[in-house]
Amino acid sequence: MIFKSRRTFIKHSVLTSVIFVTCSGELFGAVTPMRTIALVHRDLFPDSATAPKIDDINASYYLNSILNHSRVTDASKNFIRNGAKWLNEESAGEYNKLYLKLSALQRQKILKKISDTRWGESWLDTIMTYLLEATLGDPIYGGNIAKSGWLWLNHKPGLPRPLKALL
Amino acid sequence: MKYDICIIGSGAGGAPIAYELANAGYKVVVLEKGHNYKEEEFTKDELAVSRRGLYTPLLKDEHHVIKERSEDGTVTRYDGEEYNWSFWNGSMVGGSSNLMSGYFHRMKPDDFRLLSKYGKIDGANIVDWPISYDDLEPYYTKVEEVIGVSGDAVNHKFLEPRSTKNFPYPMLEVNGVTKWFDSACKSLGYESIPTPRAILPYGALGRKSCSYSNFCGSYGCATGAKGSARAALLQKCDAKIISEAFVYKLDSDESRVTKVHYYDKELKNNSVEAKMFVLAAQAIETSRLLLNSKNIHFPNGLANSSGEVGKNLIFSAGGSGEGRIRFESLTTKQQKELMQAGLFFNRSLQDWYEYEDNNRKYKGGTIDFLFEHANIISRAKREIYDDNGALIWGEELQKKIHRNITTSRVLTFEVFNDWLPTDYCNVTVDEKVKDKYGVNVGAINLYSHPHDIKVGEYLAQKAKVLLEKMGLEEVSVNISASPPPNLVAGGCRFGTNAKISVLDSNCKAHELSNLYVTDASFMPTGGSVPYTWTIYANSFRVADVILSRLKS
Repeated sequence: MIFKSRRTFIKHSVLTSVIFVTCSGELFGAVTPMRTIALVHRDLFPDSATAPKIDDINASYYLNSILNHSRVTDASKNFIRNGAKWLNEESAGEYNKLYLKLSALQRQKILKKISDTRWGESWLDTIMTYLLEATLGDPIYGGNIAKSGWLWLNHKPGLPRPLKALL
Repeated sequence: MKYDICIIGSGAGGAPIAYELANAGYKVVVLEKGHNYKEEEFTKDELAVSRRGLYTPLLKDEHHVIKERSEDGTVTRYDGEEYNWSFWNGSMVGGSSNLMSGYFHRMKPDDFRLLSKYGKIDGANIVDWPISYDDLEPYYTKVEEVIGVSGDAVNHKFLEPRSTKNFPYPMLEVNGVTKWFDSACKSLGYESIPTPRAILPYGALGRKSCSYSNFCGSYGCATGAKGSARAALLQKCDAKIISEAFVYKLDSDESRVTKVHYYDKELKNNSVEAKMFVLAAQAIETSRLLLNSKNIHFPNGLANSSGEVGKNLIFSAGGSGEGRIRFESLTTKQQKELMQAGLFFNRSLQDWYEYEDNNRKYKGGTIDFLFEHANIISRAKREIYDDNGALIWGEELQKKIHRNITTSRVLTFEVFNDWLPTDYCNVTVDEKVKDKYGVNVGAINLYSHPHDIKVGEYLAQKAKVLLEKMGLEEVSVNISASPPPNLVAGGCRFGTNAKISVLDSNCKAHELSNLYVTDASFMPTGGSVPYTWTIYANSFRVADVILSRLKS
């Protein structure tokens, strides 16, 4: 196990505490960043015939580790969390629903819309970066289960591989 | 205990002194700010090494202030932490030589007399070196033997004079694509040069051979084949190494350094006394330390009555370019050759080390060719934008990543040309910002002379023509004024005139009888090659000078 207590680790993560979504200056709803981002992960990296499945990537678990990483800045961590809030506010403004409640087509339209904004492009770039880290980093970090990402791209890792994760 | 010699910094500048003096029986202590890694700890963990900066300090603990001057004279201030702009390299025993790719080129004789040969350039502080290529040649040869340099000294227009016929170690194995490269060079009239590497092709010097792990630059070498200061020198002598020791001040009287002060990893204060001191903390930090070591005898900073400490900071100018080799244009056999992992590319061009343009002679430079780094996350990440710069995702992205990584490879090139020294590129100390030790941080004042870009672009166009001749797709070039943090020099230039230089021709401080500076700080100009071989060679040269003094 990478973490002595995975349950404790997730319990205290900033991604699992609720964010409040406002629309037109009023409280619209509440949601956890983790649930929102987990769905974004599936929308950005859908299950397909050849690529690793999102469950094999274990991206949400990996992102949790990033949110607790000693070498990731607080500004980056806050940006990930705030971006989930802003995404939901865009959804509320456009469709009067939280992101989780949108149809697949609506979610794609919202992702496209925010990708044309400065914050949205930067946030999606960040989410995608950590998603690819989970997909292709050493499995010792909890992602890339059974080397699924490496097998997908015929990648041979450099040796020696790490014996413990840097967290 | 009083040591014969105390060395601050354990990289390519400090380690040769430690190696030579300790092996001659002197009591040597090396103070190194970073961790002392064992070889087996050098894993190829892309997440830790390349994405989380395992070998560099956290910017919230230690950073620089950067002041960038643009062409119109305006200066923009950046806080390194706020802008995530790092000038740290390998903070570890052996320094950044652990992480180098080991592309080893000697400087050419004309690099030592840039002013005499090519004349003044407005706005640039070009000077000749106080030593010649002939003075350094025996030490370049010594580095080949002691550090271990492999290659094949083929004849070409700018081959530097050699006292030995060839390298002591043969070339590393290369990828089959080099044949296509050589063929394209031949048809264009270019002279393809096998790139010398500070990597052992077989076990020697008490070190193992290269394992062709496919991860070289940015990573420590787990076999010891790469000629890092740690593997090649510090492990071959009994100098005492104190790691995680941050030196923050040197004490002196009016003519001698008496003591150095450092914080250990518990932030406790310690000091070391020695007869002689060598400073080799990397160019920016060396100037910072001298400037932070003011005392009653040196109110402007140690060895700085001339006001020259920190001045004329230089980097390697140039940039990079690339093109993609796709399966579609290749036979099955060629496809297999292309995808041979681990084998090196190792080709360089120096045809335009000097060139003429509009009836004027220019000092040009070197172009090294290499395959895109094997880091798989970085290679996938570059695919998330389409040709128009828009983010893509979903199956479109998955297909693009899969296609580009499994059926093509990117061949890149790096251009190295002179970063001209100017009044506006230097190191000072920021009076307000302090690091985790409570010490004022270095302020890096950046400016790139327009001439640097002009030369870089000339060279890059030559490389671009070659990639196109090879049939590569998506050929692009990126020459810029961005300073590469791993290719920095100057700040304590050596020279014969104490009014306009910090060090004498033996790299001893003009004003102090027992202080030497042997990292790249001494270089008044940088040549058009990566610096490491020259740093090593000069440090071996200075070691001989110190040995001679100690013996007498």
